[in-house]
Amino acid sequence: MEIPRLVAVLLMVLEWAHSGLPSPLRPICDPRVLDRFIKEARDMEVTMRSCSDGCSLAEPLPVPLTSVDFAVWEKEDAQKQAQEVQSGLWLLSEAISVVRASVTSAMLQSLLDNSHSNLHSIRQVIRSLNFQEYMPPTGGTAHEETWRVSSMPELLRVHTNFLRGKVRLLLASAAACRRDGS
Amino acid sequence: MTMLRKTQHFGLLIFFLSQKASLETVDRHFESKVDLLLNVETENPKCFAEGMRDLTCFWEDEDGGSADQYSFTYTYENEKSSECKVTSQPAEGAKTRYFCHLPKVQHFGDLYLRVFRDGLQIYNRSLLINLLFWLDPPANLTVTQTGKLGQLKVTWLPPPLKYMENSMMYEVRYTAGSTWKEKVVRESTEITLQGLQVNTKYKVQVRVKPDGLTYDGFWSSWTLPVSMTTAPKDVDPLILALCLIITFVLVLLSLTALVSHRSSLQKKMWPLIPSPENKFPGLFTVYGGDFQEWLGHSGGGLRPSPAFFFFEELPAMLEVLSEATPVPPRSVESRACNLPESGCKENEEDLQNAESGQEGWQPTPPAHWLMKHFQTLQQGPSPFSWSTQLESKDSYVTLDHSFQPKPQETPMDDISEESAPLRVLFTSAEISASHSDLGSLPQSSRSGRLSSESSLEYPHSIWPPKGISYASLTLADSGVSVDYSPMNSIRTAAGGIGGFYNNDYKNEIPKPNEPLSGCPIYSAC
Repeated sequence: MEIPRLVAVLLMVLEWAHSGLPSPLRPICDPRVLDRFIKEARDMEVTMRSCSDGCSLAEPLPVPLTSVDFAVWEKEDAQKQAQEVQSGLWLLSEAISVVRASVTSAMLQSLLDNSHSNLHSIRQVIRSLNFQEYMPPTGGTAHEETWRVSSMPELLRVHTNFLRGKVRLLLASAAACRRDGS
Repeated sequence: MTMLRKTQHFGLLIFFLSQKASLETVDRHFESKVDLLLNVETENPKCFAEGMRDLTCFWEDEDGGSADQYSFTYTYENEKSSECKVTSQPAEGAKTRYFCHLPKVQHFGDLYLRVFRDGLQIYNRSLLINLLFWLDPPANLTVTQTGKLGQLKVTWLPPPLKYMENSMMYEVRYTAGSTWKEKVVRESTEITLQGLQVNTKYKVQVRVKPDGLTYDGFWSSWTLPVSMTTAPKDVDPLILALCLIITFVLVLLSLTALVSHRSSLQKKMWPLIPSPENKFPGLFTVYGGDFQEWLGHSGGGLRPSPAFFFFEELPAMLEVLSEATPVPPRSVESRACNLPESGCKENEEDLQNAESGQEGWQPTPPAHWLMKHFQTLQQGPSPFSWSTQLESKDSYVTLDHSFQPKPQETPMDDISEESAPLRVLFTSAEISASHSDLGSLPQSSRSGRLSSESSLEYPHSIWPPKGISYASLTLADSGVSVDYSPMNSIRTAAGGIGGFYNNDYKNEIPKPNEPLSGCPIYSAC
């Protein structure tokens, strides 16, 4: 007798809690948002291409694979694509943080900070498109294909290509955006 | 059965031929790209992608080898290397081109290429395929006129590549015949060219390239030129009609103004030179300006004319006289008479009459006195002697209200006497007799008396009961010189005759002590 009452109260509480949660983000469908991030990444890659000092990393860092076979990609379902993208973004963020810590030049530091914030923003955009949030388990698994880079220019190159490829394709084909007609 | 087979074979043949034809067209594009890239690309092997699922790499060699000598390996990141089949094509100048079409294409990831000849690596290259697009020119290029002058609208279709819709960059070039002008268009497949010459034929071409951010590549070749003529400048018929109407209205208005003010315009443009011709009928036309002759010949006509003068001018003279201040007859009397005897006599008579009837007199009949004066003057011996008479101050008449006779009194005689000269003038046959001499005045006056009754009416009827204020003015107008000194005589008194008198005009202010100060013309001395 008391249990149903408890359940009712619980349900009501949960309802309020649920309504108190932050409302879902508006879908960000403008391709120019990501294009700006890509541009910044590319500029940084070009800048760092001819780096001399502090270029090689202390230890190889895992980074996502960037190459896209369209035939294969189109066969994947959206959720898997989102997972792949989100884990890759996470890996890149991690790598950039590590590099940021080992860099001394102020300019480099600011650039790396910018890249890091951009990656964070992209994750927000993905969340706005109603993709389920996915955090790769610590330690990394073979499921997410990775490879390791040993120099900063290589890292930045991977960063740029990842944004150009998988992230862009994911955002372009997002269901939320297609429904809006953009 | 055989027929069916034959048709089948025939159909297949046709199919293959068509395929070949389409391939050939594709090859033509391909060939041009290859040729161009050979000049543009420095790295070897030269590679380009035409679509989303292909990559073509090639290189050129002069040694005249065969495709078997070469091996082409490609490696995607994190994968094993693969081999690509090499094909060869003869090129100009004993060169050979070797091609490799990759079966599998991956974008956004590094591709590592290696070319071996006879086991030795000759080329290697790392590239990103998404940065090596060489697209076909845009299709469906159309150029149309817009509604406005000097504009053309250019539209085209984007390359039909998936995922690349928003990543294209176009370049439009156009010319009127001599120099090309170029415009870059981003994120749009149409443009309106502005600032063009009117009624000119323009050629337009378009080419495309990935924008370079996510995808990059080479400029495509130009589309085939499309020509279009810009709209000709035409005169808006409405504006033309309005202009015509306004012009017409303005012309009409100006004409109306001209016509309505024609007379005033004429006066301004061709001012009338006053001429006394109308007063002297026949003077200029018949006698050519010879006054003597005119006088001599138009005696008959002269009589009425002075009468007309009297008509026109005496009233004015009378008006002037009305301005005269009243003068006691005695003082006047004292001044009277330098006239010749006859005239003096008259005056004396008048004076006497005036004295007698002074009180009852009214201002209006001074007209009669004018008449009398005229009479005296008229009866000068000859026109020529007039002037002498005038100058000699012979005939004087004092005219003021004191002399004005009442109609019922004896001044009636005076009146008649006054009117007499007119009568005399009218009745006498000869002009000389009318002018003849003052001496004949009593006679004339007598004759005048005879007809006094009739003549009585004359002055009354002729002259308006107005004052005599205008007399002097009229004299002046008629060109006669008038001496207005109260002491002076005649002169102009005869001024009605106009040209007879050639005294100088002197308008002297009458002396204040003179009782006849106001008297303009006729004064008894």
